[in-house]
Amino acid sequence: MRKLLGIFLCLLMVVSAGCAPKQQDANTITIWHWMTDRHKAFEALAQKYEAQTGVKVKIELYAPSDAYTQKVIASAQAHVLPDIYGILDKKEVFASFIESGFVADLTDEFKKNDSEWENSLFAKALDVNRFSDGNIYKIKPGIYGVPLDVTNIQMLYNKKMLEKAGIKTPPKTFEEFLSDTQALKRIGLAGLVSGWGEQWMINCFASNYAFNIMGEQKVMATYKGEVPYTDPDWIKVFNIFATLAKEGALAEGVVTKPNKFAEQDFALERAAFAFNGSWCVNVYNDMNPDLAYGVMLPPAVSTAFPMKIWGGAGSSFVVNKDSSRKDKAIAFLKWLTADEQQQYLAQQTKNLPSNKKALSSIPQILSDFAAVMDQTTHPSIWEYNEDPWVAEKFAKGIQSIIIGEKTPEEVAKEVQTAKQQELEKAKSKTN
Amino acid sequence: MEINKYLLQRISNSIITHIFLMAVTVSCLFPLFWMVRCALMTNATVFTDKSFVPHVLHFKNFITAWTEGGFSVYFFNSVIYTVSVVVGIVLISSLAAYAFSRLDFPGKNFFFYMFVAALMIPFPGSFVPLVVLMNKIGWTNMRYGYILCMINVGLSMSILLLKTFFDKMSPDLEDAARIDGCGRLGIWWHVALPLARPAIAVIVIFNSLNVWNEYILANLLLNDKSLMPLQRGLMVFQGAHSVDYPLLMAGLTIAAVPIILIYLAMQKHIIKGLSSGTTVG
Repeated sequence: MRKLLGIFLCLLMVVSAGCAPKQQDANTITIWHWMTDRHKAFEALAQKYEAQTGVKVKIELYAPSDAYTQKVIASAQAHVLPDIYGILDKKEVFASFIESGFVADLTDEFKKNDSEWENSLFAKALDVNRFSDGNIYKIKPGIYGVPLDVTNIQMLYNKKMLEKAGIKTPPKTFEEFLSDTQALKRIGLAGLVSGWGEQWMINCFASNYAFNIMGEQKVMATYKGEVPYTDPDWIKVFNIFATLAKEGALAEGVVTKPNKFAEQDFALERAAFAFNGSWCVNVYNDMNPDLAYGVMLPPAVSTAFPMKIWGGAGSSFVVNKDSSRKDKAIAFLKWLTADEQQQYLAQQTKNLPSNKKALSSIPQILSDFAAVMDQTTHPSIWEYNEDPWVAEKFAKGIQSIIIGEKTPEEVAKEVQTAKQQELEKAKSKTN
Repeated sequence: MEINKYLLQRISNSIITHIFLMAVTVSCLFPLFWMVRCALMTNATVFTDKSFVPHVLHFKNFITAWTEGGFSVYFFNSVIYTVSVVVGIVLISSLAAYAFSRLDFPGKNFFFYMFVAALMIPFPGSFVPLVVLMNKIGWTNMRYGYILCMINVGLSMSILLLKTFFDKMSPDLEDAARIDGCGRLGIWWHVALPLARPAIAVIVIFNSLNVWNEYILANLLLNDKSLMPLQRGLMVFQGAHSVDYPLLMAGLTIAAVPIILIYLAMQKHIIKGLSSGTTVG
């Protein structure tokens, strides 16, 4: 017994050693983040900042993102949030953090010196952190977050595989794309791969074409309940998937593939085309550094409206409203999003910089991704969003079209029925 | 020719049992083999090399994982946390279980059922209250704050297990110890604990595994990198979109070794406990 108690007391001494609570000094700001792949670059920049200004920046990593989110929520309830942190959730959660007084309004800082800081960043990236007049969350209009990088989702093509099939330039129209996949099929190569086992990816691809076929106004009117999914334009959207499946343009098992597996397929040259986000540059580089590929917009099916792709801020930081070091935190974020630091981050982490001027010295493939930032849109900045249950029905319907279980017309009817039910539910709630 | 039906049935039963056991063994060991196999590959070959055993073995991955993941500090922390929590749980739960089983005091059943009821609370459900409580008493970012929380997590199950064990203990053994001059603590130490060795072995394995693999609560309560457990080191190899599989697998192999050793050390006690009779002592 004495031995066991002895061990216990020894351990108690070890664990108590160096456990005195540390008070953070006024010259140290703390950042919590979840970006494992960017941690080293952040630490290097923090050291540089300390050398330049004398302000110490403590970078603390909490990964994976789920664990990070739990930490932020628990810390918010305990009122122990750091000076700078990120909110990894939907806009309504972001709004609830602002409403609870955990996020500082940065609008005045962005507007200083003729909006110098605001103008240096991609407007689309700021939109994710912006609450406009009359927003549905009833948040005071303004900018509440700082985008660190931007992202968008486009199509990728394998240069070598296209060359092998005798294709000289990547397709611009949907017809060209179909004929290219036929050429690839003839020599036994798979066409398009994507993580369409993940609902959001399938909805993203479909919404690109919905914007191209009927324009933003009609898409929003559908979400609002004014246009039915049985409308001929929506049937055209569903038909795109039916055509892709019928023509054998899709890689095998695309409807059950998580994006990670789809990324492997493209990186290992098992498919000639991929639909993926700009983060793929990093992923493909890890899996196959010799992969020769290019980026292109999803080939348009109509000339009626421009093709819109999903994109915006990749990762953003917010400043703790209660922080006594708020000014220092804002100064650091300004420095972090300046040209030089953004170039460094882009080169080290292969993410698209949020600073427009930093584009000049980044790898070509990232530059190509960034070239169409003006054509990006994102559900978080739309006036209306589809009900999650209807969106699920929509994605599952498309999956059944691809596997030949249902026709576009059948799916359109099913989605419209779900939409109708949700509209009636919402109506009865307001009554 | 006469067939010995009894012998035939015995052989066929034995074959079926062995096939089943071999399938279970393979399904348990194959993930471990795959982990070590991937740990010996490179990021380029991990997706392309389909061979069972890689053509070129990269043992260097273990050193890289250890240094890049900062395993020295994390490993030390995990050892401290695991030993402290397990010793704490064994001491407290055996004392509590002995009291619930052998002593009479007011509210005995109420307190016991409270402990059992605590088992019904899912672990993530207690995160926010724990963080708030630890902040209020100023024990966040402290080793002992985390250790006490983890002891608390493991207590209910251990008390329940040990109380069941002590309930079966013959009162004659206690009387004999009393005649030999043992007090209550003496009986607990000299009689109850040695007899409960199989149950304690289960508690040690179960809680060691739990603490060694725990990360979420550590992530919530600890801020300093120097206080984080081993699982934090593994996160270095998992980016938001990309994963360094060989180094992650090498790290997982390193992390799995101590737990396998604990299991091997405790295995004989469990088997002994299972093969002993229903009455303890």
